[in-house]
Amino acid sequence: MKTGSRILIIDDDQDFVQALATLLERDGHSVLTAHNGREGVLRARREPPDLILLDVMMDERTEGFFVAQELRRIPELAHVPIFIVSAVYSEQPSMRVAPDRAWLGHDAFYRKPIDPDALLAGIRAALAAHPGAAPRGATP
Amino acid sequence: MDGAQRGEPIVVIDDDYAMRLACEQALAKVGYTVSTFADGAHGLEAVGTCKPGLVVVDLKMPGLSGLDVITRLHAIDPTITIIVITGYATISTAVDAMKAGAYDFLPKPFSPDELRLIVRRGFERRQLQLTSQQCEVERELQRRRFVTFVSHQLKTPLVAVHQYLDVLRQLGEAPEAAEKRQAWLSRCLVRTDELRRLIDDWLTLAQLEGGLLGRQRTRVDVDETITSVLRTYEGLGARDGITLTADVPEHCPVHGDPTCVGVLIDNLVANAVKYNRPGGTVTVRVQRAAGEVIIEVADTGIGVPADALPRLFDEFFRVRQPGVPKVEGTGLGLPICRRIAAEMGGVIEVESTEGAGSTFRVRLPDPEASPALATGRSA
Repeated sequence: MKTGSRILIIDDDQDFVQALATLLERDGHSVLTAHNGREGVLRARREPPDLILLDVMMDERTEGFFVAQELRRIPELAHVPIFIVSAVYSEQPSMRVAPDRAWLGHDAFYRKPIDPDALLAGIRAALAAHPGAAPRGATP
Repeated sequence: MDGAQRGEPIVVIDDDYAMRLACEQALAKVGYTVSTFADGAHGLEAVGTCKPGLVVVDLKMPGLSGLDVITRLHAIDPTITIIVITGYATISTAVDAMKAGAYDFLPKPFSPDELRLIVRRGFERRQLQLTSQQCEVERELQRRRFVTFVSHQLKTPLVAVHQYLDVLRQLGEAPEAAEKRQAWLSRCLVRTDELRRLIDDWLTLAQLEGGLLGRQRTRVDVDETITSVLRTYEGLGARDGITLTADVPEHCPVHGDPTCVGVLIDNLVANAVKYNRPGGTVTVRVQRAAGEVIIEVADTGIGVPADALPRLFDEFFRVRQPGVPKVEGTGLGLPICRRIAAEMGGVIEVESTEGAGSTFRVRLPDPEASPALATGRSA
Protein backbone atom coordinates (compact mmCIF):
# COMPACT_ATOMS: atom_id res chain seq x y z
CA MET A 1 0.00 0.00 0.00
CA LYS A 2 1.16 3.46 -0.84
CA THR A 3 1.47 5.76 2.14
CA GLY A 4 1.83 9.48 2.28
CA SER A 5 -0.48 10.00 -0.67
CA ARG A 6 -1.66 13.42 -1.67
CA ILE A 7 -5.42 13.86 -1.44
CA LEU A 8 -7.36 16.83 -2.81
CA ILE A 9 -10.65 17.73 -1.11
CA ILE A 10 -12.96 19.90 -3.23
CA ASP A 11 -15.81 21.07 -1.01
CA ASP A 12 -17.33 24.43 -0.10
CA ASP A 13 -17.98 23.63 3.58
CA GLN A 14 -14.85 24.59 5.49
CA ASP A 15 -15.87 22.70 8.61
CA PHE A 16 -16.43 19.47 6.70
CA VAL A 17 -13.06 19.96 4.97
CA GLN A 18 -11.34 20.62 8.30
CA ALA A 19 -12.71 17.42 9.85
CA LEU A 20 -11.83 15.23 6.88
CA ALA A 21 -8.39 16.79 6.43
CA THR A 22 -7.53 15.95 10.05
CA LEU A 23 -8.71 12.39 9.57
CA LEU A 24 -6.68 11.92 6.38
CA GLU A 25 -3.55 13.57 7.72
CA ARG A 26 -3.66 11.33 10.75
CA ASP A 27 -3.75 8.37 8.36
CA GLY A 28 -0.50 9.60 6.81
CA HIS A 29 -1.79 11.49 3.79
CA SER A 30 -1.11 15.06 2.86
CA VAL A 31 -4.16 17.11 2.08
CA LEU A 32 -4.87 19.84 -0.47
CA THR A 33 -8.13 21.76 -0.40
CA ALA A 34 -10.25 23.81 -2.79
CA HIS A 35 -13.60 25.47 -2.12
CA ASN A 36 -15.23 25.21 -5.50
CA GLY A 37 -14.90 23.30 -8.75
CA ARG A 38 -12.92 25.89 -10.65
CA GLU A 39 -10.37 26.22 -7.83
CA GLY A 40 -10.28 22.42 -7.54
CA VAL A 41 -9.40 21.86 -11.18
CA LEU A 42 -6.66 24.51 -11.02
CA ARG A 43 -5.25 22.98 -7.86
CA ALA A 44 -5.33 19.48 -9.32
CA ARG A 45 -3.50 20.63 -12.45
CA ARG A 46 -0.86 22.45 -10.46
CA GLU A 47 -0.28 19.75 -7.86
CA PRO A 48 -1.66 16.48 -9.25
CA PRO A 49 -3.13 14.51 -6.33
CA ASP A 50 -3.29 10.74 -5.91
CA LEU A 51 -6.99 10.84 -5.09
CA ILE A 52 -9.77 13.42 -5.12
CA LEU A 53 -12.74 13.81 -2.77
CA LEU A 54 -15.34 15.86 -4.60
CA ASP A 55 -18.53 17.48 -3.31
CA VAL A 56 -21.51 17.84 -5.68
CA MET A 57 -23.50 20.95 -4.69
CA MET A 58 -21.12 23.87 -4.40
CA ASP A 59 -21.63 27.17 -6.24
CA GLU A 60 -23.90 25.32 -8.66
CA ARG A 61 -26.37 22.57 -7.92
CA THR A 62 -24.64 19.77 -9.84
CA GLU A 63 -21.21 21.34 -10.06
CA GLY A 64 -19.34 18.26 -8.80
CA PHE A 65 -20.50 16.02 -11.64
CA PHE A 66 -19.22 18.47 -14.22
CA VAL A 67 -15.97 18.94 -12.33
CA ALA A 68 -15.51 15.15 -12.37
CA GLN A 69 -15.91 15.11 -16.12
CA GLU A 70 -13.55 18.01 -16.55
CA LEU A 71 -10.92 16.29 -14.40
CA ARG A 72 -11.32 13.12 -16.45
CA ARG A 73 -10.50 14.99 -19.62
CA ILE A 74 -7.14 16.18 -18.27
CA PRO A 75 -4.63 13.54 -19.44
CA GLU A 76 -2.34 13.73 -16.41
CA LEU A 77 -5.35 13.36 -14.07
CA ALA A 78 -7.31 10.80 -16.06
CA HIS A 79 -6.32 7.94 -13.77
CA VAL A 80 -6.74 9.69 -10.44
CA PRO A 81 -9.58 8.07 -8.46
CA ILE A 82 -12.41 10.48 -7.73
CA PHE A 83 -14.70 9.86 -4.74
CA ILE A 84 -17.90 11.81 -4.94
CA VAL A 85 -19.22 12.87 -1.54
CA SER A 86 -22.70 14.28 -1.17
CA ALA A 87 -25.38 14.75 1.45
CA VAL A 88 -28.07 14.80 -1.20
CA TYR A 89 -27.02 12.64 -4.11
CA SER A 90 -26.39 9.03 -3.17
CA GLU A 91 -25.81 7.63 -6.62
CA GLN A 92 -24.99 8.68 -10.13
CA PRO A 93 -27.52 11.20 -11.31
CA SER A 94 -29.90 10.41 -14.12
CA MET A 95 -28.57 13.39 -16.04
CA ARG A 96 -25.27 11.70 -16.67
CA VAL A 97 -24.00 12.57 -20.06
CA ALA A 98 -21.82 9.69 -21.08
CA PRO A 99 -23.55 6.39 -21.78
CA ASP A 100 -21.37 4.10 -19.67
CA ARG A 101 -20.12 4.00 -16.09
CA ALA A 102 -16.64 4.79 -17.33
CA TRP A 103 -17.34 8.52 -17.37
CA LEU A 104 -16.52 8.69 -13.70
CA GLY A 105 -13.78 6.10 -13.91
CA HIS A 106 -13.07 4.25 -10.67
CA ASP A 107 -15.24 6.43 -8.52
CA ALA A 108 -17.11 5.64 -5.43
CA PHE A 109 -19.99 7.57 -3.94
CA TYR A 110 -19.89 8.43 -0.26
CA ARG A 111 -22.87 9.77 1.58
CA LYS A 112 -22.19 12.68 3.94
CA PRO A 113 -21.51 12.45 6.82
CA ILE A 114 -18.85 9.90 5.87
CA ASP A 115 -18.01 6.98 8.13
CA PRO A 116 -14.28 7.55 8.85
CA ASP A 117 -13.32 3.86 8.78
CA ALA A 118 -15.19 3.21 5.53
CA LEU A 119 -13.54 6.22 3.90
CA LEU A 120 -10.02 5.31 5.02
CA ALA A 121 -10.52 1.72 3.85
CA GLY A 122 -11.91 2.93 0.53
CA ILE A 123 -8.95 5.24 0.01
CA ARG A 124 -6.49 2.47 0.82
CA ALA A 125 -8.16 0.15 -1.67
CA ALA A 126 -8.30 2.77 -4.41
CA LEU A 127 -4.66 3.76 -3.92
CA ALA A 128 -3.59 0.11 -3.94
CA ALA A 129 -5.42 -0.38 -7.23
CA HIS A 130 -3.85 2.77 -8.68
CA PRO A 131 -0.37 2.90 -7.21
CA GLY A 132 0.38 6.12 -9.07
CA ALA A 133 3.93 4.94 -9.69
CA ALA A 134 3.46 5.10 -13.43
CA PRO A 135 3.63 8.61 -14.83
CA ARG A 136 0.15 10.04 -14.46
CA GLY A 137 -1.91 9.83 -17.60
CA ALA A 138 0.35 7.25 -19.22
CA THR A 139 -1.05 3.78 -19.75
CA PRO A 140 1.50 1.17 -18.64
CA MET B 1 -49.05 29.12 -34.86
CA ASP B 2 -51.26 26.50 -36.46
CA GLY B 3 -50.66 22.98 -37.70
CA ALA B 4 -49.79 24.00 -41.24
CA GLN B 5 -46.83 26.06 -40.02
CA ARG B 6 -45.84 23.50 -37.41
CA GLY B 7 -45.87 20.88 -40.14
CA GLU B 8 -47.95 18.52 -38.06
CA PRO B 9 -49.86 16.18 -40.39
CA ILE B 10 -53.59 15.48 -40.30
CA VAL B 11 -55.11 12.01 -40.59
CA VAL B 12 -58.62 11.66 -42.05
CA ILE B 13 -60.46 8.36 -41.43
CA ASP B 14 -63.74 7.92 -43.35
CA ASP B 15 -65.22 4.98 -45.23
CA ASP B 16 -66.75 7.33 -47.84
CA TYR B 17 -64.28 7.92 -50.70
CA ALA B 18 -65.89 11.22 -51.75
CA MET B 19 -65.68 12.53 -48.20
CA ARG B 20 -61.99 11.57 -47.87
CA LEU B 21 -61.20 13.30 -51.14
CA ALA B 22 -63.17 16.43 -50.18
CA CYS B 23 -61.43 16.69 -46.79
CA GLU B 24 -57.99 16.14 -48.29
CA GLN B 25 -58.51 18.80 -50.94
CA ALA B 26 -60.00 21.35 -48.54
CA LEU B 27 -57.09 20.97 -46.10
CA ALA B 28 -54.21 20.48 -48.56
CA LYS B 29 -55.27 23.69 -50.28
CA VAL B 30 -54.23 25.72 -47.19
CA GLY B 31 -50.98 23.86 -46.70
CA TYR B 32 -51.78 20.97 -44.39
CA THR B 33 -50.22 17.56 -44.96
CA VAL B 34 -53.11 15.10 -45.08
CA SER B 35 -53.21 11.28 -45.09
CA THR B 36 -56.54 9.55 -45.57
CA PHE B 37 -57.69 6.06 -44.58
CA ALA B 38 -60.86 4.13 -45.38
CA ASP B 39 -61.22 2.39 -42.01
CA GLY B 40 -60.29 2.70 -38.35
CA ALA B 41 -57.78 -0.14 -38.25
CA HIS B 42 -55.62 1.27 -41.06
CA GLY B 43 -55.98 4.80 -39.72
CA LEU B 44 -54.78 3.76 -36.25
CA GLU B 45 -51.91 1.78 -37.73
CA ALA B 46 -50.76 4.89 -39.60
CA VAL B 47 -50.95 7.13 -36.53
CA GLY B 48 -47.77 5.62 -35.14
CA THR B 49 -45.79 6.51 -38.27
CA CYS B 50 -47.33 9.83 -39.45
CA LYS B 51 -47.54 11.32 -35.92
CA PRO B 52 -50.53 13.53 -36.67
CA GLY B 53 -51.41 16.49 -34.48
CA LEU B 54 -55.04 16.19 -35.44
CA VAL B 55 -57.33 13.36 -36.61
CA VAL B 56 -60.64 13.80 -38.38
CA VAL B 57 -62.74 10.65 -37.97
CA ASP B 58 -66.17 9.58 -39.20
CA LEU B 59 -68.34 8.22 -36.40
CA LYS B 60 -70.26 5.68 -38.45
CA MET B 61 -67.99 3.25 -40.24
CA PRO B 62 -67.98 -0.49 -40.88
CA GLY B 63 -65.47 -2.34 -38.68
CA LEU B 64 -64.10 -0.21 -35.87
CA SER B 65 -66.60 2.51 -34.97
CA GLY B 66 -65.57 6.14 -34.65
CA LEU B 67 -65.94 5.88 -30.87
CA ASP B 68 -63.55 2.89 -30.76
CA VAL B 69 -61.07 4.83 -32.87
CA ILE B 70 -61.22 7.80 -30.46
CA THR B 71 -60.60 5.57 -27.45
CA ARG B 72 -57.63 3.84 -29.07
CA LEU B 73 -56.20 7.08 -30.44
CA HIS B 74 -56.13 8.44 -26.92
CA ALA B 75 -54.36 5.34 -25.71
CA ILE B 76 -51.66 5.88 -28.36
CA ASP B 77 -51.24 9.64 -27.81
CA PRO B 78 -53.55 11.55 -25.47
CA THR B 79 -52.45 14.90 -26.92
CA ILE B 80 -53.88 14.25 -30.43
CA THR B 81 -56.82 16.55 -31.18
CA ILE B 82 -59.78 14.63 -32.58
CA ILE B 83 -62.64 16.03 -34.64
CA VAL B 84 -65.56 13.73 -35.48
CA ILE B 85 -67.75 13.98 -38.52
CA THR B 86 -71.16 12.51 -38.37
CA GLY B 87 -73.93 12.02 -40.90
CA TYR B 88 -76.79 11.87 -38.45
CA ALA B 89 -75.94 14.60 -36.05
CA THR B 90 -77.89 13.82 -32.98
CA ILE B 91 -76.77 15.50 -29.80
CA SER B 92 -76.26 12.16 -28.07
CA THR B 93 -73.71 10.75 -30.56
CA ALA B 94 -71.78 14.01 -30.49
CA VAL B 95 -71.83 14.03 -26.69
CA ASP B 96 -70.62 10.40 -26.61
CA ALA B 97 -67.75 11.32 -28.91
CA MET B 98 -66.79 14.33 -26.82
CA LYS B 99 -66.98 12.24 -23.66
CA ALA B 100 -64.64 9.72 -25.28
CA GLY B 101 -62.17 12.55 -25.86
CA ALA B 102 -63.08 14.25 -29.16
CA TYR B 103 -62.47 17.98 -29.26
CA ASP B 104 -65.44 18.93 -31.47
CA PHE B 105 -67.82 17.55 -34.09
CA LEU B 106 -68.84 18.52 -37.58
CA PRO B 107 -72.24 17.45 -38.94
CA LYS B 108 -72.51 16.45 -42.60
CA PRO B 109 -72.89 18.16 -44.94
CA PHE B 110 -70.25 20.81 -44.26
CA SER B 111 -68.41 23.30 -46.45
CA PRO B 112 -64.62 23.29 -46.94
CA ASP B 113 -64.50 26.55 -44.97
CA GLU B 114 -66.33 24.98 -42.03
CA LEU B 115 -63.84 22.10 -42.02
CA ARG B 116 -60.84 24.45 -42.22
CA LEU B 117 -62.21 26.62 -39.43
CA ILE B 118 -62.75 23.73 -37.04
CA VAL B 119 -59.32 22.26 -37.89
CA ARG B 120 -57.63 25.59 -37.28
CA ARG B 121 -59.36 25.94 -33.93
CA GLY B 122 -58.43 22.37 -33.12
CA PHE B 123 -54.76 23.09 -33.77
CA GLU B 124 -54.92 26.29 -31.72
CA ARG B 125 -56.42 24.37 -28.81
CA ARG B 126 -53.73 21.72 -29.20
CA GLN B 127 -51.02 24.35 -29.13
CA LEU B 128 -52.40 25.79 -25.89
CA GLN B 129 -52.63 22.32 -24.40
CA LEU B 130 -49.04 21.46 -25.33
CA THR B 131 -47.78 24.76 -23.92
CA SER B 132 -49.59 24.24 -20.65
CA GLN B 133 -48.26 20.67 -20.40
CA GLN B 134 -44.76 22.01 -20.97
CA CYS B 135 -45.32 24.54 -18.16
CA GLU B 136 -46.53 21.75 -15.89
CA VAL B 137 -43.40 19.68 -16.60
CA GLU B 138 -41.22 22.71 -15.97
CA ARG B 139 -43.01 23.43 -12.69
CA GLU B 140 -42.57 19.87 -11.50
CA LEU B 141 -38.86 20.00 -12.37
CA GLN B 142 -38.50 23.28 -10.47
CA ARG B 143 -40.28 21.79 -7.48
CA ARG B 144 -37.94 18.79 -7.43
CA ARG B 145 -34.89 21.01 -7.77
CA PHE B 146 -36.20 23.05 -4.89
CA VAL B 147 -36.66 19.98 -2.67
CA THR B 148 -33.10 18.87 -3.44
CA PHE B 149 -31.86 22.35 -2.65
CA VAL B 150 -33.73 22.67 0.64
CA SER B 151 -32.57 19.27 1.81
CA HIS B 152 -29.01 20.24 0.93
CA GLN B 153 -29.30 23.50 2.89
CA LEU B 154 -30.70 21.72 5.93
CA LYS B 155 -28.22 18.84 5.82
CA THR B 156 -25.06 20.89 5.32
CA PRO B 157 -24.69 22.20 8.89
CA LEU B 158 -25.81 18.87 10.31
CA VAL B 159 -23.20 17.02 8.24
CA ALA B 160 -20.45 19.38 9.40
CA VAL B 161 -21.31 18.79 13.06
CA HIS B 162 -21.63 15.03 12.59
CA GLN B 163 -18.30 14.87 10.75
CA TYR B 164 -16.51 16.79 13.49
CA LEU B 165 -17.93 14.52 16.18
CA ASP B 166 -17.14 11.39 14.17
CA VAL B 167 -13.53 12.43 13.60
CA LEU B 168 -13.13 13.57 17.22
CA ARG B 169 -14.26 10.13 18.35
CA GLN B 170 -11.83 8.55 15.90
CA LEU B 171 -8.96 10.67 17.26
CA GLY B 172 -9.74 9.48 20.79
CA GLU B 173 -6.98 10.47 23.20
CA ALA B 174 -4.45 11.29 20.47
CA PRO B 175 -2.41 14.42 21.27
CA GLU B 176 -3.83 16.37 18.30
CA ALA B 177 -7.34 15.66 19.59
CA ALA B 178 -6.94 17.92 22.63
CA GLU B 179 -6.10 21.01 20.61
CA LYS B 180 -8.86 20.33 18.06
CA ARG B 181 -11.54 19.56 20.60
CA GLN B 182 -12.20 23.11 21.86
CA ALA B 183 -12.08 24.72 18.43
CA TRP B 184 -14.27 22.06 16.87
CA LEU B 185 -16.84 22.11 19.64
CA SER B 186 -17.13 25.88 19.13
CA ARG B 187 -17.67 25.30 15.43
CA CYS B 188 -20.29 22.66 16.22
CA LEU B 189 -22.19 25.25 18.26
CA VAL B 190 -21.96 27.78 15.43
CA ARG B 191 -23.25 25.24 12.94
CA THR B 192 -26.09 23.96 15.13
CA ASP B 193 -27.06 27.59 15.60
CA GLU B 194 -27.02 28.02 11.82
CA LEU B 195 -29.30 25.00 11.47
CA ARG B 196 -31.67 26.29 14.13
CA ARG B 197 -31.93 29.69 12.41
CA LEU B 198 -32.53 27.96 9.10
CA ILE B 199 -35.36 25.91 10.58
CA ASP B 200 -36.81 28.98 12.34
CA ASP B 201 -36.80 31.02 9.12
CA TRP B 202 -38.15 28.14 7.12
CA LEU B 203 -41.00 27.69 9.59
CA THR B 204 -41.72 31.44 9.62
CA LEU B 205 -42.00 31.38 5.84
CA ALA B 206 -44.18 28.26 5.90
CA GLN B 207 -46.44 29.82 8.55
CA LEU B 208 -46.77 33.02 6.53
CA GLU B 209 -47.62 31.01 3.43
CA GLY B 210 -50.03 28.78 5.28
CA GLY B 211 -51.83 31.73 6.85
CA LEU B 212 -50.83 30.76 10.40
CA LEU B 213 -48.85 33.95 10.80
CA GLY B 214 -49.37 37.50 9.64
CA ARG B 215 -53.16 37.52 9.49
CA GLN B 216 -53.60 39.55 12.64
CA ARG B 217 -54.60 43.16 11.97
CA THR B 218 -53.87 45.74 14.62
CA ARG B 219 -52.31 49.16 14.69
CA VAL B 220 -48.60 48.84 15.21
CA ASP B 221 -46.48 51.84 16.08
CA VAL B 222 -43.44 51.39 13.86
CA ASP B 223 -41.50 54.06 15.72
CA GLU B 224 -41.56 51.85 18.84
CA THR B 225 -40.66 48.74 16.84
CA ILE B 226 -37.73 50.53 15.21
CA THR B 227 -36.40 51.88 18.50
CA SER B 228 -36.49 48.41 19.99
CA VAL B 229 -34.82 46.75 16.98
CA LEU B 230 -32.06 49.36 16.82
CA ARG B 231 -31.33 48.79 20.50
CA THR B 232 -30.92 45.06 19.75
CA TYR B 233 -28.31 45.70 17.07
CA GLU B 234 -26.42 48.55 18.75
CA GLY B 235 -23.96 46.15 20.36
CA LEU B 236 -23.26 44.22 17.18
CA GLY B 237 -22.86 47.48 15.26
CA ALA B 238 -20.53 49.00 17.85
CA ARG B 239 -18.18 46.03 17.45
CA ASP B 240 -17.42 47.23 13.90
CA GLY B 241 -17.86 50.94 14.60
CA ILE B 242 -21.20 51.01 12.78
CA THR B 243 -23.58 53.81 13.82
CA LEU B 244 -27.31 53.10 13.86
CA THR B 245 -29.65 56.07 13.62
CA ALA B 246 -33.38 56.56 13.25
CA ASP B 247 -35.26 59.39 11.56
CA VAL B 248 -38.80 58.51 12.48
CA PRO B 249 -41.81 60.74 13.27
CA GLU B 250 -43.24 60.05 16.69
CA HIS B 251 -46.70 59.03 15.74
CA CYS B 252 -46.46 56.54 12.92
CA PRO B 253 -48.83 53.60 12.96
CA VAL B 254 -49.15 50.88 10.35
CA HIS B 255 -51.76 48.18 10.12
CA GLY B 256 -50.69 44.57 10.55
CA ASP B 257 -49.39 41.77 12.73
CA PRO B 258 -47.05 43.17 15.43
CA THR B 259 -44.83 40.07 15.37
CA CYS B 260 -44.46 40.32 11.61
CA VAL B 261 -43.70 44.04 11.66
CA GLY B 262 -40.97 43.24 14.19
CA VAL B 263 -39.54 40.44 12.02
CA LEU B 264 -39.63 42.68 8.93
CA ILE B 265 -37.71 45.54 10.54
CA ASP B 266 -35.39 43.18 12.40
CA ASN B 267 -34.38 41.38 9.20
CA LEU B 268 -33.71 44.60 7.31
CA VAL B 269 -31.66 46.16 10.12
CA ALA B 270 -29.75 42.89 10.66
CA ASN B 271 -28.81 42.83 6.96
CA ALA B 272 -27.82 46.50 7.03
CA VAL B 273 -25.40 45.75 9.89
CA LYS B 274 -24.11 42.43 8.51
CA TYR B 275 -23.43 43.73 5.00
CA ASN B 276 -21.92 47.00 6.20
CA ARG B 277 -18.32 48.13 6.45
CA PRO B 278 -16.38 49.01 9.59
CA GLY B 279 -17.25 52.59 10.50
CA GLY B 280 -20.38 52.59 8.34
CA THR B 281 -23.88 53.77 9.13
CA VAL B 282 -27.37 52.28 9.21
CA THR B 283 -30.22 54.77 8.89
CA VAL B 284 -33.87 53.92 9.38
CA ARG B 285 -36.30 56.52 8.05
CA VAL B 286 -40.07 56.58 8.09
CA GLN B 287 -42.13 58.94 5.96
CA ARG B 288 -45.81 59.29 5.24
CA ALA B 289 -46.65 60.29 1.71
CA ALA B 290 -49.50 59.81 -0.74
CA GLY B 291 -51.45 57.39 1.44
CA GLU B 292 -48.40 55.30 2.24
CA VAL B 293 -46.09 54.73 5.16
CA ILE B 294 -42.60 54.29 3.74
CA ILE B 295 -40.02 52.56 5.92
CA GLU B 296 -36.49 52.89 4.60
CA VAL B 297 -33.42 51.04 5.87
CA ALA B 298 -30.26 52.40 4.30
CA ASP B 299 -26.71 51.17 4.79
CA THR B 300 -23.27 52.24 3.61
CA GLY B 301 -22.15 48.68 3.05
CA ILE B 302 -20.90 46.45 0.27
CA GLY B 303 -24.04 46.83 -1.87
CA VAL B 304 -25.51 44.34 -4.31
CA PRO B 305 -24.23 43.79 -7.87
CA ALA B 306 -26.85 44.90 -10.42
CA ASP B 307 -27.21 41.42 -11.91
CA ALA B 308 -28.08 39.96 -8.49
CA LEU B 309 -30.84 42.49 -7.73
CA PRO B 310 -33.68 40.69 -9.57
CA ARG B 311 -33.09 37.50 -7.55
CA LEU B 312 -32.45 39.18 -4.21
CA PHE B 313 -35.87 38.25 -2.77
CA ASP B 314 -35.73 34.62 -4.00
CA GLU B 315 -35.61 31.89 -1.40
CA PHE B 316 -32.05 30.77 -0.57
CA PHE B 317 -30.50 33.22 -3.00
CA ARG B 318 -27.15 34.45 -1.70
CA VAL B 319 -25.02 37.10 -3.34
CA ARG B 320 -21.49 36.01 -4.06
CA GLN B 321 -19.00 38.77 -4.60
CA PRO B 322 -15.39 37.98 -5.30
CA GLY B 323 -13.13 39.33 -2.59
CA VAL B 324 -16.01 39.83 -0.14
CA PRO B 325 -15.92 37.47 2.85
CA LYS B 326 -18.93 35.18 3.15
CA VAL B 327 -21.63 36.61 5.40
CA GLU B 328 -23.57 34.13 7.53
CA GLY B 329 -27.25 33.94 6.71
CA THR B 330 -30.07 31.58 5.86
CA GLY B 331 -31.00 33.12 2.51
CA LEU B 332 -34.57 33.37 3.78
CA GLY B 333 -34.60 36.77 5.48
CA LEU B 334 -35.56 38.84 2.44
CA PRO B 335 -38.15 36.32 1.15
CA ILE B 336 -39.76 36.58 4.61
CA CYS B 337 -39.71 40.40 4.38
CA ARG B 338 -41.29 40.32 0.95
CA ARG B 339 -44.00 37.96 2.16
CA ILE B 340 -44.76 40.10 5.24
CA ALA B 341 -44.94 43.30 3.18
CA ALA B 342 -47.34 41.61 0.75
CA GLU B 343 -49.44 40.28 3.64
CA MET B 344 -49.81 43.88 4.86
CA GLY B 345 -50.88 45.05 1.43
CA GLY B 346 -47.52 46.62 0.66
CA VAL B 347 -44.36 46.04 -1.31
CA ILE B 348 -40.65 45.96 -0.67
CA GLU B 349 -38.11 47.50 -3.02
CA VAL B 350 -34.36 47.80 -3.11
CA GLU B 351 -31.91 50.27 -4.55
CA SER B 352 -28.26 49.44 -4.40
CA THR B 353 -24.90 50.50 -5.70
CA GLU B 354 -22.22 47.88 -5.50
CA GLY B 355 -19.52 49.05 -3.14
CA ALA B 356 -21.58 51.99 -1.83
CA GLY B 357 -24.55 50.53 -0.01
CA SER B 358 -28.19 49.48 -0.25
CA THR B 359 -31.53 51.02 0.62
CA PHE B 360 -34.49 48.75 1.30
CA ARG B 361 -37.85 50.49 1.13
CA VAL B 362 -41.08 49.00 2.46
CA ARG B 363 -44.21 50.79 1.28
CA LEU B 364 -47.31 50.04 3.32
CA PRO B 365 -50.81 51.50 3.15
CA ASP B 366 -51.20 54.38 5.62
CA PRO B 367 -54.04 53.39 7.97
CA GLU B 368 -54.77 57.04 8.70
CA ALA B 369 -55.30 57.71 5.02
CA SER B 370 -57.86 54.91 4.70
CA PRO B 371 -60.37 55.00 7.57
CA ALA B 372 -61.54 51.40 6.99
CA LEU B 373 -58.10 50.10 7.88
CA ALA B 374 -57.69 52.49 10.78
CA THR B 375 -60.76 51.26 12.58
CA GLY B 376 -60.78 47.63 11.44
CA ARG B 377 -59.58 45.14 13.97
CA SER B 378 -59.63 41.43 13.37
CA ALA B 379 -57.78 38.41 14.63
